[in-house]
Amino acid sequence: MPDSGYPWPIETTTLDNGLRVVVSPDHSAPVVAVNLWYDVGSRHEPAGQTGFAHLFEHLMFEGSVNVAKTEHMKLIQGCGGTLNATTNPDRTNYFETVPAEHLELALWLEADRMGGLVPALVQETLDNQREVVKNERRQRYENVPYGDAWLRLLPLLYPPGHPYHHATIGSMEDLNVADLPTFQDFHITYYAPNNAVLSVVGDAEPGEVFALVEKYFGRLAPRPDIPPAPDGRVVPASGVPARETVTAEVPAPRLYLAHRTHPFGSEPYDAVTVLASVLGNGRGSRLYQRLADGARLAQPDNIAAYGIDLAHAPAPLIATATARPGVTGEELEAGLVEVVDEIATDGVTEAELERAHALLTSGWWRSITTVEGRADALSRYTLQFGDPRRARDRLPGWLAVTADRVAQIAAEVLQPQDRVTLTYLPEERP
Amino acid sequence: MILIAQRPEPGTPRPYRFPPVIRRTVPGGEIVAADLPGHRLAVAALLLDAGAGREPVGREGLAGVLAKALEEGTTQRDSAAFSLGLERLGTQLSLSTDWDSFRASVQVPVDRLLPAVELLTEAVRTPRLDPADVSRVRDDEATALRMHWANPGPRAEAALRADLFGIDARHGRPMDGDPESVAEITVDDVTAFHADWLTRPGTLLVAGDLSRIDLAALGTAAFEGAAGIPVAADAPFEVTVRPERRIILVDRPGSVQSTLRLGHPAPHRAHPDYVPMYLAATVLGGAFTSRLNHLLREVRGYTYGIRADFGLSRRFGRFLVSSGVQTAVTAPALVDAVGEIARTEIEGVTEEELAVARSWRVGQLSVELQAPAAIANALATLVVHGLPDDYYEQFRSQLHSADPAQVSAAAAAHLYGQGLTLVVEGDAAAIRDDLVATGLGEVVDVTI
Repeated sequence: MPDSGYPWPIETTTLDNGLRVVVSPDHSAPVVAVNLWYDVGSRHEPAGQTGFAHLFEHLMFEGSVNVAKTEHMKLIQGCGGTLNATTNPDRTNYFETVPAEHLELALWLEADRMGGLVPALVQETLDNQREVVKNERRQRYENVPYGDAWLRLLPLLYPPGHPYHHATIGSMEDLNVADLPTFQDFHITYYAPNNAVLSVVGDAEPGEVFALVEKYFGRLAPRPDIPPAPDGRVVPASGVPARETVTAEVPAPRLYLAHRTHPFGSEPYDAVTVLASVLGNGRGSRLYQRLADGARLAQPDNIAAYGIDLAHAPAPLIATATARPGVTGEELEAGLVEVVDEIATDGVTEAELERAHALLTSGWWRSITTVEGRADALSRYTLQFGDPRRARDRLPGWLAVTADRVAQIAAEVLQPQDRVTLTYLPEERP
Repeated sequence: MILIAQRPEPGTPRPYRFPPVIRRTVPGGEIVAADLPGHRLAVAALLLDAGAGREPVGREGLAGVLAKALEEGTTQRDSAAFSLGLERLGTQLSLSTDWDSFRASVQVPVDRLLPAVELLTEAVRTPRLDPADVSRVRDDEATALRMHWANPGPRAEAALRADLFGIDARHGRPMDGDPESVAEITVDDVTAFHADWLTRPGTLLVAGDLSRIDLAALGTAAFEGAAGIPVAADAPFEVTVRPERRIILVDRPGSVQSTLRLGHPAPHRAHPDYVPMYLAATVLGGAFTSRLNHLLREVRGYTYGIRADFGLSRRFGRFLVSSGVQTAVTAPALVDAVGEIARTEIEGVTEEELAVARSWRVGQLSVELQAPAAIANALATLVVHGLPDDYYEQFRSQLHSADPAQVSAAAAAHLYGQGLTLVVEGDAAAIRDDLVATGLGEVVDVTI
């Protein structure tokens, strides 16, 4: 077993204004990744403002006091860099990877939009990006078969008022009423240096990075009273399974079985991750062997189990399967439930555990092969667990999970009375 | 002022160097490798000349069915034992086909590379291909394609391809086949395609820490039992563009977006204008700040994104613009897109735009070529297109030196705004009249 899943050096500092800075040098290629995690996600959104954190993410690319509209993209791509941003229930993430000589440019751009977005934010930009986001919603969720599964699973898993109850993309109604002052307030409230982590990984020296970060971010004011998201750690078990059946224009019946487990980063969630891999990762997994091979109920390309790595409440474990032609939704559900119940009752074998460990090991190294992958991990572990060095623990944590522990966690989290079942059925053709 | 207004100047450039390409001829075949010291993961890929371009017309999807069938057990072990053996090493068999190649690859911690390649080879060279398994895999693949074809895109893509190249040509049909063509595939087709194309040696690509890899042993594993010699690719097709623009409408009732696939034929990959064509397409639609995305997304708000490129293979190429736009603005979005293509063709590119495109593409060579899998893909490009070992250095300097005159000339020579086929997959009842009113071309309804 490796003693560390992160063998590169890690150096840290915190500016006087609270900005946490992480540097991990690696001079093997002349590129550098810059990654910011802001501690704001859709879990912070009150009712009536769903989708605002994500729409705000779009606005961060539309100019700030010293950066004209669209100039951010032009400068990063014009120096050879890649960039993007993502929002999820937990946090908002901005990142770019640039040739190493452009590190200072990337830091300047990030500082300008952290400290100077509000004066540049105008109605026209908001209206334009609102339309872009609505098109994103159409493209990713509405216009594809099963595209809204995640939007339907969340409210079944988390009760009204819970921070994970609604999906990050938000509702069309809320997006339509989004007004400019709300977004100006949003930035003032959450985009403060003490609410963020900045990681720099690659061809750069920590001392040089710390000095540059001080130069560009050092005079930004912290905000003392950032409101926390509602606490979602405890989700009372209803004791009653939740079900939804959707009849829609889909090509085949599909099932999602979902269970609340534990927050990402905890020891029990490491066990859940191993369980998910045994259950539904790869052709050697329990689901594939039993349902795609074996009973031949499920399509081999559409069968899986996975955890969603959310850290602020019990994260979901999802198992999904799609029916082969001639197999009904009921038959598929019976088969899927049998496999899930069986693993909860009978546990797993050493061979299954070994297979899961090997796949998780490769997957871990693959995720941190690139400088951008490493920067993302360091930002995550700093923001969510207070220390980037916690990134070293994940892989050893998975490898420490025994077959007995998997059996125990399966029995705990896969209880039928606490199960969410989402079924898609094809519309009857007239 | 709490923010620094002055944009910083770049530091001293630190040039990127593609890892030296190592070619090793071993008994039975050739290895092309790149050394990545210190990397924990390594990638090995067996690259075979068995892409979609080798499939007979009427059997589209054959290479894909064969790929799936390889995992249904070998002459030595059944499918479950095979999967377990490979997954216990930490990898799955990654099988992919494109027009020019068939690739089977593994990605594992470097000390497990040899056993992983042994299993990979066992599947590729000695699959069981039990007729019952092959038939089932064929049916599953037809189902998988039916699932895929329920999404917006594949039907538009098929309509475009048929219009550009004609359905009598293999490349006038979908690269991965369609549910009907796959359903036609027989067990004999699969075993014959295997015998014809997967038993030749091919090339073994390796990217990883070579101080921990025994290339000779990998070569022995990969080429044992292989036989036959490479078959030269046929000559490229002539580029024939239609004389006038047309709109092809594929109905998708109730669709909240219209899927756009706009294109025309283009030269093959080895064309001498490759670099200026690549840059012209970048200015037009290859980057976030490019003309199409700027206008349709950032100014108009019609779409989540729109992109353009020249997709080029050994025997043919295609200029393609893809997007999804809100149903209500389909017609104006189409007019804007055609306008930007025509403007690029007629007026060329500016130095300011080209500077961004050039630096971005050069920078991508450093930023994207980090991981072993990315390096292995880059090696595959060298082999498939017969490019020299110093290709990435040459490519970089050609990108650097391309000037607006060259790139504008390539845009003028290889973009045909007047000969575009404009495929729109959307709610025909809602958009048909608007499309006719654009006057962009005759509207043809196509059922797929």
